[in-house]
Amino acid sequence: MKKLVGVMLVMLLFAGMLLAAQTLRVLMPIGGGYTIEDQQAIAEEFEKDNPGVKIEMEFVGWDNLWNKIITSIGSGSAPDIMYIGSRWIPALADLGAIIPLDAYITAEKKSLYYDTVWDTVQYNGSYWGVVRAMSTKAFIYNKDLFEKYNVKVPTNWDELLEAAKKLHNPKFGIYGIGMSGKRFVSTVTQFQQYLYANGGLIVDSTGKAIINNENGVQALEFYNELANYAQSGMLEWKREDLIKLFETGKLGMYIDHVHNAEAAREKGINVGLFMIPGGPLSDKPYSTVIVTDCISISSQSRNVELAVKFMNYMTSFEKQKEWDLKLGFVPPMVKEKDLPEFQTDLWKPYIDAIQYGTPEAINIKDWEGVQEAIVDAIQTVLLEQATAQEALDTAAYIINLLQR
Amino acid sequence: MRRKTVPYILIIPLLIAFFAFIGFPLYKVFETSFYKASFLNPLARQFVGIENYKWLFNFCYPNPDVSYFLMAFGRSLLWVACSVILKVILGLLAALLFDSPYLIGKKVYRSLIIIPWAIPWAMAAMMWAWTLNPEFGIFNSILLRLGVISSPTSFLASPSAAFITTFVIDAWAGLPFMIIMFLSGLQSIPGSLYEAARLDGASEIRQLFKITIPMIKPVMLTVSLLSMVWTFNSFDIIWVLTQGGPLRATETLPIAIYNTSFRMMRFGGIGKASAMTIAQVLLITLISIFYIKTMRESDKA
Repeated sequence: MKKLVGVMLVMLLFAGMLLAAQTLRVLMPIGGGYTIEDQQAIAEEFEKDNPGVKIEMEFVGWDNLWNKIITSIGSGSAPDIMYIGSRWIPALADLGAIIPLDAYITAEKKSLYYDTVWDTVQYNGSYWGVVRAMSTKAFIYNKDLFEKYNVKVPTNWDELLEAAKKLHNPKFGIYGIGMSGKRFVSTVTQFQQYLYANGGLIVDSTGKAIINNENGVQALEFYNELANYAQSGMLEWKREDLIKLFETGKLGMYIDHVHNAEAAREKGINVGLFMIPGGPLSDKPYSTVIVTDCISISSQSRNVELAVKFMNYMTSFEKQKEWDLKLGFVPPMVKEKDLPEFQTDLWKPYIDAIQYGTPEAINIKDWEGVQEAIVDAIQTVLLEQATAQEALDTAAYIINLLQR
Repeated sequence: MRRKTVPYILIIPLLIAFFAFIGFPLYKVFETSFYKASFLNPLARQFVGIENYKWLFNFCYPNPDVSYFLMAFGRSLLWVACSVILKVILGLLAALLFDSPYLIGKKVYRSLIIIPWAIPWAMAAMMWAWTLNPEFGIFNSILLRLGVISSPTSFLASPSAAFITTFVIDAWAGLPFMIIMFLSGLQSIPGSLYEAARLDGASEIRQLFKITIPMIKPVMLTVSLLSMVWTFNSFDIIWVLTQGGPLRATETLPIAIYNTSFRMMRFGGIGKASAMTIAQVLLITLISIFYIKTMRESDKA
């Protein structure tokens, strides 16, 4: 009997707490460096500073984040705050699933970030999110292998190809360059590095596919040429797994995040870095794809004011700084780059690259569909079933269908 | 009177469960297949009649001559056939081995054989992906050391290799079920039949084809039919290993349905995916009926 009363009391207490508190539901990803503990800590601090507010965090793996978002929107149970890949903004905005945040973003807040950072969350003239995490990419290379094979750091595409060729010695288990070709999002972003570096884009400012123009075709041809000097079975590799090869000293170079450069150095690899060189048709000397994740607010939220407050809390300078340092993300705020922690040779190319960056999914309305079409094009060319022009023409046809 | 109503009352709970968990969802899918709809805006759906069913046959991508749906369906049929045949043959051979009176330590093997089935399929697929990896996989390492190959081969990087690898791994995962079912079938064969055959001087091979196989044919029929339907819906293994690639070589119908519903949002994904699902249900039912019929007829003959 006592037990029963006890259980009922606890349940009552729990129900009472739920009723009394103002609840904010927040959807967060885990995986890729995001741990539950880190994110929960921020929620707990916010609850302490704001008595009566309850932050209810839901976690889902990165792979399932998109599915979780669209199914919860579809069933009318979307969380108040959603952590999303900025590439999803156009699809979500077009359907009225998230709200524009222009009215809530102060001039002061705006001036904290690089302009290119805001470009990644802009669509139809509005801002739909506040950036939480950013990444740029650079080439990570094995200095010892470069020295052994007498290769100098490439500054253009010809030199890049030459370097890959010289480094490639599969007989000794050494591959010139690490590349990805698996049916996966990172294969598209790896190709995009070359596409953007050559002045190409997936779609133009009107949303029409231009991936099959001269810049794009040349980029895909170059990708295919580099593939001759890549690790074996390239079509079953995704970028996320290449670090395992690099850490064992089997790769000359490859494009990746800063935290993997750090990881490889810890494993004893003599790591060097260089920015991604611009292609023959580009007017920029260097290039990088800028990928951001952002905090967006659901149109189903009945607590927008509170949601904005929590969003601003999470993305304050102090919290952002902690977050970037902890997870090894490229700092999206201008002031952050002067922090002593970022003054290392590892960070330099990633921060320098920001000014040459192009947002990952600019003007693309349905990233997931576009991604599929581009992976098909890349794999068709790698398997020599079509020329780069033919493959990209097909991709452009599908992209235009999706952009309508 | 009483006798007639009681059975009907007794099956009511089952009927309710059937309609709630199978009938209703299936009806919803059927209904959705006539709408242009996506997960993002299920309320703003548009009625489009049989457009989605037409789409099954006129959306030709990436092959300009064959529709996306028919390609995926044909690929599924081939994939399922290969996997099920492999499962039945290997399952029967293994069951015969485990049933053999000469084998020592049968119980140990019988427990060990459950392992592939007990591991979550997604985990098993991850394990296989790394086992087969060209750089780090133990498979390549063994082949290289034995001198079978001179440079690492890749099991998932070319369309045909990926197709074969995925169905072989699927067969591996489904094998324990087959073996257990076949074993129980073998154990139900009366020993007197074999004794009589031995007295008549029939060879082991003759016994296998004249006694064992005919006697377990009903088990074989049920098991292969079940396996066919399960294999048709197999998703995890392909998804983890290749996501339907390279170049859609392993994009079976379930994978294609997933891709259509979750990745072609602006095409009105779930309407089209629902049409694909209904088509799949109809086609599998037809194939099953045809299969049962031919098996029964060959039985009579």
